[in-house]
Amino acid sequence: MEEPRIGVYVCNCGTNIAKVVDCDAVAEFAAKLPGVVVARSYKYMCSNPGQEMIVQDIEEQSLERVVVAACSPRMHEQTFRRALETAGLNPYLFEMANIREQCSWVHDDGAIATEKAQALVHAAVNRVARHEPLERMSVDMCPNTLVIGGGIAGMTAALELADAGKRVYLVEKQDHLGGNIARVDLTAPYLDSARDILTYLVTRVLEHDNIEVMTESRVERLDGFVGNFKATLGSLANAADGNAAVDVGSVIVCTGYKEFDAARITHYGYGKLPNVITSFELERMLRQGRIETKEGRPPQFVAIVHCVGSRSEEYHSYCSRVCCMTALKYAHEVKSALPKSYVSDVYVDMHAFGKGCEDFYRQSSEVKTLFLMYGRGEHPVIRKADPGDECGMLIEVNELLSGETVEIPADLVILMVGMEPREDVDDVAHLVSISTDKDGWFIESHPKLDPVATTTDGIFIAGACQAPKDIPDTVAQARAAAARILARIARGKLVVDAVYAEVDEDRCSGCRVCNELCPYVAIEYDETKRRSHIISALCKACGACVAACPSGAIKARHFTDEQIFAEIEGVLE
Amino acid sequence: MTFEPKIVGFLCNWCSYTGADLAGTSRIKYRPNVRVIRVMCSARIDPTFVIKALAEGADGVLICGCHPGDCHYTEGNYKTMRRYPLLKRLLADYGIDDERVRLEWVSASEGKRFADIVDDMTERLCELGPSLVKSALATDAVER
Amino acid sequence: MALRINPKLIDELEVYGAEDVSKCYHCGNCSAVCVHSSDPYVFPRRSMRNLQMGLEDKLKGGLEPWLCYYCGECSEQCPREAEPGETMMSLRRWLTSRYDWTGISRLFYRSWRWEVGAILLVGFLTALGFLLFGFSQGSITHYNGSNAFLPSSKIHVFDWTLAMLLLAVLLSNAARMWWYTVGRDRSVKVPMKSYITKAYLLPAHFITQMRYAKCARKTPWLTHLVLMLSYLTMLVLIMFFLSKMASGPKIDWYVHIFGYLATVGLVVGSVLFLRNRLRKSSAQYTHSHESDWLFLVLLLVVTLTGISQSILHHSGVDVAANIMYVVHLSVVVPMLALEVPFGKWSHLAYRPLAMYFADVRAEGLTRREPASVPSEGLRAA
Repeated sequence: MEEPRIGVYVCNCGTNIAKVVDCDAVAEFAAKLPGVVVARSYKYMCSNPGQEMIVQDIEEQSLERVVVAACSPRMHEQTFRRALETAGLNPYLFEMANIREQCSWVHDDGAIATEKAQALVHAAVNRVARHEPLERMSVDMCPNTLVIGGGIAGMTAALELADAGKRVYLVEKQDHLGGNIARVDLTAPYLDSARDILTYLVTRVLEHDNIEVMTESRVERLDGFVGNFKATLGSLANAADGNAAVDVGSVIVCTGYKEFDAARITHYGYGKLPNVITSFELERMLRQGRIETKEGRPPQFVAIVHCVGSRSEEYHSYCSRVCCMTALKYAHEVKSALPKSYVSDVYVDMHAFGKGCEDFYRQSSEVKTLFLMYGRGEHPVIRKADPGDECGMLIEVNELLSGETVEIPADLVILMVGMEPREDVDDVAHLVSISTDKDGWFIESHPKLDPVATTTDGIFIAGACQAPKDIPDTVAQARAAAARILARIARGKLVVDAVYAEVDEDRCSGCRVCNELCPYVAIEYDETKRRSHIISALCKACGACVAACPSGAIKARHFTDEQIFAEIEGVLE
Repeated sequence: MTFEPKIVGFLCNWCSYTGADLAGTSRIKYRPNVRVIRVMCSARIDPTFVIKALAEGADGVLICGCHPGDCHYTEGNYKTMRRYPLLKRLLADYGIDDERVRLEWVSASEGKRFADIVDDMTERLCELGPSLVKSALATDAVER
Repeated sequence: MALRINPKLIDELEVYGAEDVSKCYHCGNCSAVCVHSSDPYVFPRRSMRNLQMGLEDKLKGGLEPWLCYYCGECSEQCPREAEPGETMMSLRRWLTSRYDWTGISRLFYRSWRWEVGAILLVGFLTALGFLLFGFSQGSITHYNGSNAFLPSSKIHVFDWTLAMLLLAVLLSNAARMWWYTVGRDRSVKVPMKSYITKAYLLPAHFITQMRYAKCARKTPWLTHLVLMLSYLTMLVLIMFFLSKMASGPKIDWYVHIFGYLATVGLVVGSVLFLRNRLRKSSAQYTHSHESDWLFLVLLLVVTLTGISQSILHHSGVDVAANIMYVVHLSVVVPMLALEVPFGKWSHLAYRPLAMYFADVRAEGLTRREPASVPSEGLRAA
């Protein structure tokens, strides 16, 4: 085999890599490897000059393979593949060595990190020499979209797509649209009515010709791949209705959240003390226009307890993000409904991050909300007051701003229950094959570069199913997901990754071991040829069949045995 | 010079490789002994990869995949789970210490866990000492 | 033992002028900027907190409001316009009403109508009394001599009687103040020796106002000092040299020179303060409670009637001088009888007392077991 001409580029990533790894030494080392004709170290390979350097070298030095040692391939593999295409080289003749996330950022010793970086570059050079040019497939993009969840995220996304003239199937588990926002009275910080927002959205969705709303329904199955999914929808109300199958090109998951179960925290006495209620129970009172205790009296002392289930070691470590402003909203609503009442706001930290929120916090102190701060990891303890007391309950807490242990009088205690993933989050994750993080929220493709896509192409997420968020952020995500899909529909065709498995029919013995292994039913057995065959469009390149084939007849394109062996040799040399 | 074991890590693209990247973005420091090779799914890890790594001089092999039930390809990791004991039996027959090959589940959010696993495995391999597989194969070849 | 929060107290204090205290979010800038704030008397933030939470006993036992001279720096630095300076001022008003066992102070601070009404009533009764007295034993056409309308020897007796009565009320209130701020706190054991060795502080603070001098701005201190010394001089002159003052037309220069200086000081001081309050020239003058206006107006009216009386008397217009004397007395008496023990005037006693108590109490604190001293970080500011 004639050795291909390889170019190696070592990125300094400003100082991110260079402050630990001696990039020049790595480039010098690479220059001596077989086949390497150019090896350079440069400040930022992903910058325009960096990419132009590669393009120029390919043209001037007739490079046939390129290795970039930089960040994770999950970050910039596509960037450099495009650079290769610009220079007229097949994008698969490229390999990245991850010397940032898996080297300079995790090791302190410069000499050892440099040695590791050299080993990783060696592996990449070995591997890239065995790369083959691969052609990407072009598939049709079905312009229909399946939206799972009829809350504010789902309805917004559906309208955005439908207004662009595309068909949307909106599947909702409950018998009505609206999700959690249907349980809310006013919204923070501008105190707009949630009902107004909801009525507008629901009316438009129901009247829209391009949206098919299916309430009391669920997605039973999702088959296919990006641009060409087939969704099986079933009715929850009437099993006799049977399942319906629809063709969609993309899916947006907008399954939202559920509230934390306050009864899990025994100190609060939720469920035992009748006038300890959750935020959603107060919303119900507010919507009915009457704030009162279980005894039917207007409360004189109202206490709001923050971070119920959130930001704690025992329950959820994350911040639920909306409770602080919602608590302030309650302070306003209680004060305006009962001007003679006293509102205590028992908080840990006040998170007023959003637009208009800091002003709202300020206004709340102007209406004489008493803010009482307690420490993270501590719990206020709620108990019944003594007979002679003016109030019904007392909340004992170690108040930080005064340094005193205090008792807060309360007739009504509102627990600001946090958000948590819905019970069926794992089922949904399986259904559309996306992942959840340690807390159960769906994982986005990249938190900053690709926040509404997932690791499964064609599946998008929006709203609180991704992480707790407020209405503006939810709406922004929903529209962003819709925009991503519309851009693809506008292109009409989709280019899918050329990485898939194929069977060498000459070596296949027809044992059919692989047939059962494939989770996507992409392997067909040809009775006449008595050979197995892979439908490349359905294959998602996991490689399970490749490893299992007793004859070694299945090749995982771009992950061949030969390539991986070369990589193993590289890291160990 | 103290013994620094070489570990070849086979990490699935979706969970474990992302988890290892997260250790990086979170600047969690760990021992530099692991060299990672990315595969799409732990189910792609052919037992010959492991044997090849040991034969090429690796002191240990670390296989990481998504937690059971979390596989990006639905059930690839279950295949790994079933394939792994067979591989271990084979390695035992060759007289290769049980602790040199490890299977661990690391999710995309478990950067810390990945770092801890690497540190722990490095520690154990330091105690075990260098693998003799490569030199034994060389002697074998000479004798033949 | 947990302290019970009283969210209602903040409403009560609003009447005393603390309107913005709920805006405070406890950044601590005010305490950081105040030159007087130091361990163990850290303020204004802590006082603001105690007020927000309605910790009435803590507030009542606090000396901090009296250690503040309201230079206004804290209010200007406050990012939330929570007016810490005005809060301290309001707390002084509230404390005055708490120290007073008669309840009159509380009534006055909560209702200016009551206060003005009482002043008018006492003024009217005084005028009536002196007129009846004058006509019963003298002639309106005589200012001096045996037939004088209001002979200085008799007035002198009246002055001393009134002064003793006021002193008695003031002392009883001061005793209550001591009980709330030092005596009641079982955890502080102040040795008798401290009371004696620190006793010099009382006159020292009273006369020099040396704490005020430490504030960043010096003009308010100087104006305040001039006004206070003039007032004091006038008090001494009236209490001890009244006969010399009244015996004209020959002038005893060695007495009168002080009288003129004090008069100038009183006019300049009260006019300057009135002007500042009208113009709202800086933070400490922007919020004027009714009691602040009454204080300055009464002071100015007393001074002006006194000047008029003196001019008329020296001009030999005895009838007019006698009438002006009655007018003067009918302002002076309500001012002294109502404002000194129950109104803003009382601060002339409470403030130096507070500084004295603060120092002796601090000595008692150092003798306490270190374990019981609060040391938590957030408590410091």
